[in-house]
Amino acid sequence: MTDSLLPRRSLLRYGAYGAAAAAVAGTAASWDRLTGADIPGRDDGSLVVATLGSAFSPDGVRALLDGFRKLHPDIKVRVNAVQAVDWSDFFAKILTQIAAGTAPDLVYVATEGVQLFARRLGVALDTWVKRDAAELREYFADVHPSLVESMMYEGSLYQLPIEFNAADIYLNTQVLRRAGAGFPDADWTRDDFTALLRRMKRASDSHFTPYFWTNRLWGGVVPWLFANGTNLLAESRAPGGDWLWDAFYPAGRRQGRGGGFRWTTPQATDDRVEEVYDYLASLVRDGLCTRPEGGNGQNLIGVFSTGRVGVTPAGGFWAGGLHLAGMRPDGFDVQYFPRWRTHRMQYGAAGYAMLRTSRQQDAAWEFIKYSARRDTLTRLFTTNQTTPARRSMLDAGRYRETGPAHWRVFYDTLDAFPGTGPIPAPPQVAEVEQVLLKHTGTALASPRAVRPALRRMQGDLERAMEREL
Amino acid sequence: MTNTTNTRVPAARTPARTAAPAPAAVRPGLRERGARWMAALFLVPTVIGIVAFTVVPIAGSVVLSLFHWNVIDPPRFAGASNYGEVFGDRTVLVSFRNTLVFMVLAVALQLVIALVLAITVDGRMPVWLRSAFRSAFFFPLVLSAASISVVMKYLFNQDFGVVNWLLGLVGIAPVPWLTSEHAAMAAVVLVYVWQQFGFSFLLFVGGLNNIPKEVHEAAALDGATGLRKHLSVTLPLLSPTLLVASVVGIINALQVFEQPYVLTDGGPGDSTRTVVMVIYETAFEQLRFGEASAVGVLLFVLIMAVTALQFRLSRRFVHYQ
Repeated sequence: MTDSLLPRRSLLRYGAYGAAAAAVAGTAASWDRLTGADIPGRDDGSLVVATLGSAFSPDGVRALLDGFRKLHPDIKVRVNAVQAVDWSDFFAKILTQIAAGTAPDLVYVATEGVQLFARRLGVALDTWVKRDAAELREYFADVHPSLVESMMYEGSLYQLPIEFNAADIYLNTQVLRRAGAGFPDADWTRDDFTALLRRMKRASDSHFTPYFWTNRLWGGVVPWLFANGTNLLAESRAPGGDWLWDAFYPAGRRQGRGGGFRWTTPQATDDRVEEVYDYLASLVRDGLCTRPEGGNGQNLIGVFSTGRVGVTPAGGFWAGGLHLAGMRPDGFDVQYFPRWRTHRMQYGAAGYAMLRTSRQQDAAWEFIKYSARRDTLTRLFTTNQTTPARRSMLDAGRYRETGPAHWRVFYDTLDAFPGTGPIPAPPQVAEVEQVLLKHTGTALASPRAVRPALRRMQGDLERAMEREL
Repeated sequence: MTNTTNTRVPAARTPARTAAPAPAAVRPGLRERGARWMAALFLVPTVIGIVAFTVVPIAGSVVLSLFHWNVIDPPRFAGASNYGEVFGDRTVLVSFRNTLVFMVLAVALQLVIALVLAITVDGRMPVWLRSAFRSAFFFPLVLSAASISVVMKYLFNQDFGVVNWLLGLVGIAPVPWLTSEHAAMAAVVLVYVWQQFGFSFLLFVGGLNNIPKEVHEAAALDGATGLRKHLSVTLPLLSPTLLVASVVGIINALQVFEQPYVLTDGGPGDSTRTVVMVIYETAFEQLRFGEASAVGVLLFVLIMAVTALQFRLSRRFVHYQ
């Protein structure tokens, strides 16, 4: 033996250290998990409503809260405006709050997250809707059934839609005049669209790009897929939902409606999907449209309003955006997305989802009901930053200051084309969107890249859809 | 059995202990023990900070990598299956390749630019101009990477960006900076290096100031001028600084996130998707925190391995005065 043996005194000391460490670890392990809600002052009993930071103006939020306080002075409400660049980023931040133990009671959720929230976090509103049916009859009469159906999941309703945006085509009227082209007909086709882009290109300098689009789930490739009678994932309807349709919609308007949309089998290698990508690749090749750029189209308003872009897909939200950017009401106009094999268009909607973890579900329902009222929405949507879900709110007065002249297009996208539907957003939406964006970028990098990219997209989509959530 | 040395014994007393192993003779005095306790007391806040914010999260990541967890439901033990998923995921493997390619390009460019500029600024020039250059080169480092990337995204836009407009003035066709696989990586590297080289630059300026003037004068007397002087004298004497700059540079580059996230969102395809982007997407967008942690653990191992390799190689290439 050598002197590597510890002296008795050291042994005792190290033993004491070990025992202390074990005691600390044991105490920590046995302690209830601390969460953000344990921070003094953090949980003041308010009904917490999480919204996408940029969704409403500060004045709108103030009006929203003041109105609710008058109606329900006993319910304290706190709006948590979460800053995020897009819906995906917003959901990530909400999930972080849930993980931190500071879950809100209500979350403003767009189509992108409706099924994810419904499946994992949300509470079906069926009981409350049935209970307050008389009160809600006026609301449903004013809202297109497709918007309501987009908020249903497996036969149950999870949100009351309060806004939506369909992908229509915005046209810069100055560019149209420069090209000597007239405003397109409502029934224009894909070929008319291509011819218009060519005409615009010929009449402009090399710094001009006729068609600008952003690579994202809403308004990217998907509107073209819908126009060509296909979709990224096979679309069907869940059974059920009769309790709602029978109670609120007349026979003619509820026909064909079900218990919500289902998006299941990936079909990226479908012939019609390939046709869409071939078409977009040809536009890129001929310099008629931008390459698919990721992001949220932050620089689009600038290049559109200065006439460096001729047309772009956008929703009612752009009327307010272009007005703020200094465009005159007659400086732009809007038309339906062009027809291909079909004239089906896509939209995204949004409303408040109630979280299962909420301990104030009745109060949360009161807020949902209040937020869907016409007077509430009128106070909230003052600047045309979106399209209200209530048809009666869209009138000439609303668009007089901002334009466009053909403002009826926004709601007629639903009324005149009842087949128009929501973007494909199954519960696995985050991965589906990521796969779509990344392979779209590759597919349109060169004309020969389309098929290999779509094959990889198909494989990745199949894996994403098989994944257990 | 090995003969372990009591590390608490000061080195100066060790010979005495070997000569006559009498523990009582080497026991520190009361004053010395008091000083040690005081030193330990001062270290406690730092140790607590390191344990709470470094050791525990690392251990937490390792533990989490053995579970399936989606934030909403309780974690389920998964053993090593998350690692199996990660190794079978093409996107993860591509992200590691991209990150390594990015690291090599970014660190090499960063060090070369910083070194050349530091040597240039260290030359003959007015003090005010030298200060101005130092501030200018360091300034991007204090800005937010995300903000810089948003601006750069406008500048590098293929159709409407200033960079292509300037290239067009000299007859160069528009470059698809952010929408072509190769150009996108180049753009991300350029933006990253533009922001980061200021740190290496400052290190090199400090290192150059520490090289005695006599050494350069002696080299000049021996006929070494210009590039030869820098290769034979400056670089060897600057090698400890180079080691620090490259270690920090590599660790930072392996964790790159903001620039590719804002500029290209990892695209086109996966061409600029980095490991940290994959960790973020897997955890916060796809709710697979276990797999994300497994990727994080692998990145941690990679960073440790690369850093260890650097220190090992440094024995051969780094010269201390």
